[in-house]
Amino acid sequence: MKGNVYTLVYAAVLGTACAMVLTFAASFTAPYKKANAEAEEVKNILLALNISIPDKASSEQLVEIFNKNVKEQQQGDIKTYVYTPSNKNDGAIAIDFVGPGLWGPIKGFLALDPKMTKIRGITFYEQEETPGLGGEIVKSSFRDKFVGLMIRDEAGNPGIIIKNGGEAAANKVDGISGATMTCDKVQEMLNEAIRSIVEEK
Amino acid sequence: MADKQIACATCQPKGLCGGKGLLTLKEGAWTNNPLSIQVLGICSALAVTNRLENSLVMGAALIFVCVGSNLLVSLLRKHTPHRIRMIAEVAIIATFVILFDQFLKAFYWDMSKQLGPYVGLIITNCIVMGRAEAFALQNPPILSIVDGIANGIGYAAILAIIGFFRELLGTGEIFGRQIPIFSEWYTPNQLMILAPGAFVALGIVIGIFNAIKGPEPEENK
Repeated sequence: MKGNVYTLVYAAVLGTACAMVLTFAASFTAPYKKANAEAEEVKNILLALNISIPDKASSEQLVEIFNKNVKEQQQGDIKTYVYTPSNKNDGAIAIDFVGPGLWGPIKGFLALDPKMTKIRGITFYEQEETPGLGGEIVKSSFRDKFVGLMIRDEAGNPGIIIKNGGEAAANKVDGISGATMTCDKVQEMLNEAIRSIVEEK
Repeated sequence: MADKQIACATCQPKGLCGGKGLLTLKEGAWTNNPLSIQVLGICSALAVTNRLENSLVMGAALIFVCVGSNLLVSLLRKHTPHRIRMIAEVAIIATFVILFDQFLKAFYWDMSKQLGPYVGLIITNCIVMGRAEAFALQNPPILSIVDGIANGIGYAAILAIIGFFRELLGTGEIFGRQIPIFSEWYTPNQLMILAPGAFVALGIVIGIFNAIKGPEPEENK
């Protein structure tokens, strides 16, 4: 039987060796992971702004498309991403939004038209909602409903409604059945983002 | 029993461990397949098999981790204090898993996103720990590598079969591509993509596997 000292030394040596290997691996892959995370963010902004991107675009391609088409601007406290297309199509302006979901934080980008009346597009890049119910918010079938949605009600107050049933309105979309909580929370965080950008304007 | 023949704690490595290599290979990949016979590692097998591509990457991950950890555990087997051997095994396994995870995150970002937490969860996969504890601790390094490969392949093959049929029946595609004629004619059955479809598919595969292999020989009591 080997002694306690040996056991302690063995554990320390093994632990240190494993930690060193992992530290090396983490620092070696860090720049690649950073590039991936950047590309992921850029991709979501591009999607929200409805800028077409190739199906299997590499990280560099995405960043290149982003730099070519999108300008970052500061409006008060809000960082905006402005898209001014070369052909005379209407541009778009994107802001990020974040808020608590049902199970965890929801983060995404919201794109409006330059006059700030309609929604151009919306993406969610982080969410932990129930798969198959609240998790459906990331599907294009849900996100596409927002395209063209007015961001003010008839009285001109900023805000949108995500709800099943009720009267149709220019600022209302149908929610997801079985995911009322998620829809309420998404509505809340979108309205907060809309209010802040409208006030800033 | 086959178990007795391959327990070669004292064997001298010659050839592929005195001809025990092939037996070990067969044992891990076929007669004692970790998934379909021992029914281990089911969690990941159900979770990631909705696409063939995901299944193959997950299989590759397990082969890598199993071979790496088996080799190291085997190399250290005479120096590891008995009391902390399991902690040592977990540390070694975790190191290999995180290495693979970092590799995916750096170079196959999309794949890493799709597999989500399941690569990290290989750390707790019973197959890897089981092989380290049951095999690598008693056997020399080369035979342990063979055992790692065998069990990895056994796991990966079943995953690939399930992944193939789930993707084919669930989406009508293979590797995310349309198949001529079949894709136009076939109406995808969404059930196969969802979690319940995984249970059904796994059950059928295990059933067929056991039917082909034949009944278990009587246990020696």
